[in-house]
Amino acid sequence: MLKLIGSRLVLVIPQLLIVGLLVFSLLYLVPGSAAALILGDAANPESIKEVEAQLGLDRPFLEQLGTWFANAVQGDLGNSYLYKRPVADLVLERLPATLSLVGGGLLVAMVVGVGLGLLAGVNARRLVDRGVTGFSALMQSMPEFWVGLLLVLVFVIQLGWFPVVAWTPPGADTGKWLRGLVLPALALGTGASALIARQTRTAVAEALSSRYADTLTAAGVPRGRIIFRYALKNAMIPVLAASALAVGILFGTSLVMERVFAFPGLGSLLLSSVISKDLPVVQGAALVVCLIVIAVNLIVDIAYGVLNPRARPQ
Amino acid sequence: MTSLNELKTVAVATARTHETGSVASRVLKRLVRKPIAIIAVAWLLVVVFSAIFADVLAPYDPLQSEFTAAGILQGPSVEHPLGTDDAGRDVLSRLLFGARVALAVGFGSVLVAMLIGVPIGLLLGYRAGWTDRLGTRFVDIIDSLPGMLVAFAIVAILGRGLGSIMLAIGIIFSMNFARMSRAITLAERSKLYIDAAKVSGIREITILFRQVLPNLAGPLVIQGAILTGAAIIIESALSFLGIGLESSVPSWGGQLGVAVSKQIVQPFIVFPPGLTIMLTVLAFNMLGDSVSEALSGETRKRFKRVAREQTAAPAPADPANVLEIRDVTVELRRRDEGVALVKDASLTVGRGEIVALLGESGSGKSTLAKAVLGLLAPGIGVASGSILLDGKDIAGMSEKELRSIRGTELAAVFQDPMAALSPVHTIGTQLTDVIRAHAKVSKREARARAAELLDKVGVRDAANRLDDYPHQFSGGMAQRVAIAIALASKPKLVIADEATSALDVTTQAQVLDLLVALRDEFGMGILLITHDLGVVAEVADRAAVMNAGEIVEVSTDAASLFDAPQHPYTKKLLAARTRPPRHASSTPRGGRRETAQEES
Repeated sequence: MLKLIGSRLVLVIPQLLIVGLLVFSLLYLVPGSAAALILGDAANPESIKEVEAQLGLDRPFLEQLGTWFANAVQGDLGNSYLYKRPVADLVLERLPATLSLVGGGLLVAMVVGVGLGLLAGVNARRLVDRGVTGFSALMQSMPEFWVGLLLVLVFVIQLGWFPVVAWTPPGADTGKWLRGLVLPALALGTGASALIARQTRTAVAEALSSRYADTLTAAGVPRGRIIFRYALKNAMIPVLAASALAVGILFGTSLVMERVFAFPGLGSLLLSSVISKDLPVVQGAALVVCLIVIAVNLIVDIAYGVLNPRARPQ
Repeated sequence: MTSLNELKTVAVATARTHETGSVASRVLKRLVRKPIAIIAVAWLLVVVFSAIFADVLAPYDPLQSEFTAAGILQGPSVEHPLGTDDAGRDVLSRLLFGARVALAVGFGSVLVAMLIGVPIGLLLGYRAGWTDRLGTRFVDIIDSLPGMLVAFAIVAILGRGLGSIMLAIGIIFSMNFARMSRAITLAERSKLYIDAAKVSGIREITILFRQVLPNLAGPLVIQGAILTGAAIIIESALSFLGIGLESSVPSWGGQLGVAVSKQIVQPFIVFPPGLTIMLTVLAFNMLGDSVSEALSGETRKRFKRVAREQTAAPAPADPANVLEIRDVTVELRRRDEGVALVKDASLTVGRGEIVALLGESGSGKSTLAKAVLGLLAPGIGVASGSILLDGKDIAGMSEKELRSIRGTELAAVFQDPMAALSPVHTIGTQLTDVIRAHAKVSKREARARAAELLDKVGVRDAANRLDDYPHQFSGGMAQRVAIAIALASKPKLVIADEATSALDVTTQAQVLDLLVALRDEFGMGILLITHDLGVVAEVADRAAVMNAGEIVEVSTDAASLFDAPQHPYTKKLLAARTRPPRHASSTPRGGRRETAQEES
């Protein structure tokens, strides 16, 4: 187990370096000087020079990169031009809402996706399979934020089952927090559940028509056991890979979904910083999201090794 | 949303022929037969038509606003068929003009993605080795980043506008195309004609474009269509957030942005743009799927059940026989006619008897075995005849009835033991599940029995191997495990379907010896399905020969088949075998075979 984790951790290092490099380069890719952006109307050649020296922007690229990395590792992501506060604080404040949303969406995607996929895979090429395939094609074609708007229209505006303000911090009132998460998570999970359902369907159908399913069936093992114990566990291997992909998609979509439910997450922070070119915040938020996605991929990778004995380091 | 399609399209691309022209026309012919493809294309034509003729079609100027209490947020009416938005602008007109943005971004960003991704993929696939390893890793890393985040970053760098949106979405999707074209290039690269071209001295880059691109065309169209739909979703999300195009430019997503605060006043406002996006994306997806199916020739047709002809109850079986197959015809249902895979086959297996069913691959011998086991694939079934196991007709049994006899009366050992065991479950789990399927015993008891069984089939150190996975066993040992699974509930008949074909010759002999020893101990009948005459000579009491779905000869004993073959096909089979072996003395199998023949 330790060997497995270790072997996967080694693979993460180049990933971290590349992501870090990309995020750092953001600052350099923007036309015009960062100092000019900070100073705004007050910019003149002298003051720009001064601010650049303050920020270390006059240093060589590699030195700046090194400093940035060293700071980032210590949790210092610089200061926001707009809010004049440490980026790390800004990002941390917004993290609970984003993580709640993505976690909820992932839960929905896994439960709905695996459920539907299993149903279709067990009944492959029958009417049920067609129904599920059609339904997931539909889910895949709906923009998640539109699904969110429809849910709000029906369950908040028409039926009044859920409060207008969806977000409550988890520490304050857990029940309210969960209640507020239901609609956003359902909406967020639609596209990802379609993805997972398709993957599960194929994998389950394949497992059920496999030689080992035949062997066990011929030996008299009940079909229910073959489906839930054997086909499902074998199918989970490709499904796990799909769910790692889904986490990336969910993070991206959550940035949009926030606006539908007025969630105070990273999306609204990113939006305002993109519009006002507050680059350190864009960098910081992007870095944190990437780190989380990398961490999730790492966990999935390890789970993959646990699930699949052939993928364990020998 | 893409990985599945990718796999599918790669498989399609590598499987198909090289003649692009004829493929294109064949695909087109298949496409026009698919109603879903016709509907998708029809809708897309409507969208394209509205985009081109928006100026003529739109009842109003999309920017013409009417800021009056009565003018804004109207529901559908004769003047405004789809109502008005929060500035009193005509929703229908804005939707028609919005088609321009959607299509421009959709097609534009996919084009950008192809231009970036395809060359990368070609390079990685062609170079292979370290370039490929590093490159693929890089592609994976970029692809794991949330696309929306990449889009945010690029808009932050370049500002809003059509160009930056297309570039952003193009970069996000490019890795997809890179991965796809890499896989196809790798597959093509390993084919002979590229090597041949290399020898003839054509420059590498020419090879790439001449040989790989035609194979890439189909998958590019499929993936391109699906990603165009995905690009429209991302564009609408960016416009919805207000960082897409300028807010005055009519776009579908921008119209939904209004709904966030205004749907409480006018709920209708959320439907027209949302449905338009959904239908357009759905049409692109359906088009991609249909092209993919048309390319591969794969169908999603539902299976039809094969109904068995109702016949009178079969005459009672000879009690000396454990299995009597009587005039069994197995059919594959295609459209409304049946294709016979096995025709009027009759065969018996006595108690404790080993009967070989001999034939080349495709002769129908495995289909007949599956018919006996009740494991025929959906769409295939016994159309007539009866299968009497221990006197009971099992051909028409329900799944539930079958379950009660599987394992206890009937069991099977298949070819390739590695595939016959679940790779992600331990041997112990699989064995105890089989034991507990019939015997009401505790897990502990089942485990003890499992160890006993393993020991019986000759797995050394059996108790300690229960927690091992199949891949930790050698092929021969794994087949012993499979035999243990088949024998767990002491069946009266075991069907061994090419049970030794995947093993090397020495192991093959050991496993055959084991089967014979187990038969001697338990007295079960064995139907041994094989293409190997050596196996027949070695262990079979009697043999039947199958060819093209029919049993052409049944010998009264194994020896007579070799000494006095009756059917011309059997003679041909034997003639093919009696050619002098290449190194008869050096291979133990060959040696055994000769001895076996002499004895018989």
